[in-house]
Amino acid sequence: MLALAALSALFIAGCGNDPNLEPLHKTRADGSPWEVRYAAMPDDPRSLDPQFAYDQMSHRLLEMVMDTLLEYHPFKTDPYEVMPALLEAMPQRSKNADGTETYTCKLKRGIPFQDDPCFPGGKGRECTVRDIEYAWKRMADPKVECPALSALQDYIAGLGEAYDAAKKAGKFDYSKPLEGFEIVDDQTFRIHLLKAYPQIVYWMAMQFTSPVPPEAVAYYDGHEHPDGPHGKMVQRPEFKWHPVGTGAYHMVEYKPASRVRMVRNPNYHTVVFPSDGYPPERADFLRQFAGMPVPLVDEVQITIFRETTPIPILFKQGYLDGMGVGKDAYDRTVTTTHELTPEFKARGVRLEKDLDVSTFFISLNMQDPVLGTNKKLRQALSCAYDGQSYVDIFWNGVAPVAQQLMPPGIFGYDKNYKNPYGYDLEKGKKLLAEAGYPNGIDSKTGRQLELTMDSSATGSEERQMTEFVQKGFQQLGIRVNVVEDNFAQLLAKEDNGNFQILDGTGWGADYPDPENFYMLFNSRNFPPEGKNACRYKNPEFDKVFDQMATMDNTPERLELVNKLRGMLAEDCPQIFNFHKAFYTVVQPWARRTSTNMLLEGAMKYQQVDPVMRARLQKEWNRTPAWPPYVLAFLVAGAVGYAVWFNRHRNV
Amino acid sequence: MFSYIIRRLLYAIPILFGVMLITFLLFFIVQPPEFRARAILGEKARPKQVQDWLHDHGYDKPTYINGRLGVAIDKRATPGKPFYDSLFVNQMKRLATFDFGLSDKTGLPIAQTFLDGVGPSLCLTLPAFVVGFFMAVALSLYQVFVRYSALDRFGIFLCVACMSLPPMIYMFVGQSFLALQLPYFPAYGFDLHGWSTVKFLLLPVSLMVIMNLGYDVRLYRTIFLEEITQDYVRTALAKGVPQSRLLFVHVLKNGMISLITLVVAHLPLLIMGSLLMENFFGIPGLGNALFHAIQLGDAAMVNAFVYLGAILYIVGLILTDICYAFADPRIRLS
Repeated sequence: MLALAALSALFIAGCGNDPNLEPLHKTRADGSPWEVRYAAMPDDPRSLDPQFAYDQMSHRLLEMVMDTLLEYHPFKTDPYEVMPALLEAMPQRSKNADGTETYTCKLKRGIPFQDDPCFPGGKGRECTVRDIEYAWKRMADPKVECPALSALQDYIAGLGEAYDAAKKAGKFDYSKPLEGFEIVDDQTFRIHLLKAYPQIVYWMAMQFTSPVPPEAVAYYDGHEHPDGPHGKMVQRPEFKWHPVGTGAYHMVEYKPASRVRMVRNPNYHTVVFPSDGYPPERADFLRQFAGMPVPLVDEVQITIFRETTPIPILFKQGYLDGMGVGKDAYDRTVTTTHELTPEFKARGVRLEKDLDVSTFFISLNMQDPVLGTNKKLRQALSCAYDGQSYVDIFWNGVAPVAQQLMPPGIFGYDKNYKNPYGYDLEKGKKLLAEAGYPNGIDSKTGRQLELTMDSSATGSEERQMTEFVQKGFQQLGIRVNVVEDNFAQLLAKEDNGNFQILDGTGWGADYPDPENFYMLFNSRNFPPEGKNACRYKNPEFDKVFDQMATMDNTPERLELVNKLRGMLAEDCPQIFNFHKAFYTVVQPWARRTSTNMLLEGAMKYQQVDPVMRARLQKEWNRTPAWPPYVLAFLVAGAVGYAVWFNRHRNV
Repeated sequence: MFSYIIRRLLYAIPILFGVMLITFLLFFIVQPPEFRARAILGEKARPKQVQDWLHDHGYDKPTYINGRLGVAIDKRATPGKPFYDSLFVNQMKRLATFDFGLSDKTGLPIAQTFLDGVGPSLCLTLPAFVVGFFMAVALSLYQVFVRYSALDRFGIFLCVACMSLPPMIYMFVGQSFLALQLPYFPAYGFDLHGWSTVKFLLLPVSLMVIMNLGYDVRLYRTIFLEEITQDYVRTALAKGVPQSRLLFVHVLKNGMISLITLVVAHLPLLIMGSLLMENFFGIPGLGNALFHAIQLGDAAMVNAFVYLGAILYIVGLILTDICYAFADPRIRLS
């Protein structure tokens, strides 16, 4: 037993606590250190098929593997901006006489796909216009189930028809041309739109429109092939688990529920580190990388944490380069004055605030006979909602209170704008009286006004959040009954309009354009097809929206956006809640370059100092010498006691 | 013996049918697939996407039979299709033929998830089971050796303390003390490559052993103490057999009969892994997959796992009965 304990103590002391895998190399070909970033991800991707994946986890990985035609500028976030990636320049927009539009795009020459066994000799061939056409056709293939199809088929000529034809035939015919995608020459193609849709450029910055080599889709079929040594049959993964693109990294390992490993694509030269658009507070730091080839880091290891509790432990040990500060770790990381705790400060850790491109609001049903017909009542409710206290209590004061529908960073967002019906209880009471309910009593019937609020308050904290909103409304003297639904029930009520007040609704940007937010209140977007949960119907709003939606970002457009904002503020079909925001802590060796929230990590632009990391990791993970001795002493004591006891035994 | 096993296997059929029925009620009646589709596809999903999802997963069929059930006709009934083309019949058929289909959430074949998860799960549960068993036997024998002494009483106190602590406490303390304060073990992760696997498993296996040790030592001690009061032990003592030989040869051998029959029931369930431990330490086993499926509302996955768990439990019970017969010839299986 003693021997066993000593052996285990020795073993324990020798095994180390680093959970990351050994990097693929120690040094680069030129002798400089091989640089690795260690990141965390809360879940597995749903698929790595660029034409299918639409979840955050998949995007995080695809962003590294697939280049897009255009991409979000990593540093320009106020407002967000797209820049050419695979394209030589921004697409040329031309308006046709019949109301249709054409976008002419020119592909960069000499961009190779990653080396992969699907290509002859395993060497990645040059990406061509045909690969882009193939990807666009895949969007219309019913087997691919592209989620972007429903939005794009209204605009791209022939996309919907191609889908319907394939559905009817049971197979997509890739030999037929796609009406909306015209190949001009080996470098140029045109996109034909049925009507004006300037937002198409944002779709070109998503992986749905990224080029796909047809041979990769054919090669990775999920079946067995004689690929092993001596012609041994080996199962190939499906394409959706083995993406092949022109991106900065290629995926060398993906173990579901465990980890992902990406390694630099040595042939990558689609873009370089931008030399403009630096935010002033980071400009000095960023300037050193200007014009450098990317990716800056050779390898990225991503650990999948379905359970978030260990993340702060690994961060503290220095085995993660950064982490989002969740509610569990908040008190241990950030003080009440929104500063880092002294321990993290002493370690040189940086605290950064990330603002999501989203807005949360409470929806009021405009078809409800009480709420829908009484504007002053809705305004009174809006005045009774104390957004700042809500954010302070439930979001540690990190998230900003929403004053308008659009979050910061989108064209038309005005940081100085104040919601005219923001929190003001006295004003709310006055408005309520004008609405016909002085002190919450219906002046016609003499009865207290009673409203029902639906909420997905299934957890204790969510319940507290709902109670906060309920109490706010009740301060007006009215009575608010809360109905707790699960997520699916809440969506069903939203679909059929069976609610008065709906708590916890919101919208995250698909792309940073006012159209993507104001369409939520367009009368053509009633549920279940659309997301106008409030069922707001205002012909004037619709008219201005239609005009604004197809315009470029000009002062005239800004005027229209402000008009829409004013109409919503006055009509109050919703009560603005907050824009989601959270803190991120970053290790001293891994200062972030890009914090663009529309990019999923912008990994190719991120940097790391491996020498500093190695030094600090060693310092932070010193193993004390005493535990094996204590263990050995306890075991020896127990054995000694047994011997002594046996000698003095009566029986 | 053979006819006994056949009889026990036949008894298992109604039990399994009951399990299938309950899981169907839970996953298809209490929470209809439409709700699940909305929750899985997210709030931005359009009705067509929801419909396509239901169709792809075979959830757009009538609930019980394709046609008239009593007076009501299921609105999803398809004329021209046989009456048994329904959700209920298809689900029963799928489970009975072990054709679990695709996961609701990931779209991956459930059978593949199961095969991928068995290895990591057994890497955790098998060593924990074997080491835990031998440690519990050793410690309980030690306690019997020093029986009724102060150390024995202290041991009982420790066992009760171990039994009283919830599993989460072990995991929190293990991670924050053994992995962070005394940085001996990785706090999280898994890698199925030789020694690297051992490095990742040391902490969760140790915690699993300690977690079950209190209960096991207490139980085994009782079994050995009962054995030590037998007549043959008294005779051996009277004949001058030393305490150590008495304990490690005679008592251990006879006590093991009871122990083996007790633990053999757990053997098949080791395949299913550990729900909490795997999730907490990032071991991509079956426990982790099930935990995640429950969190995400992946009914197809949970359904398959519950069914397989029930089968393994029944196998465990049958194994126990067979072990009894082998270990003690006095027991006859009639």
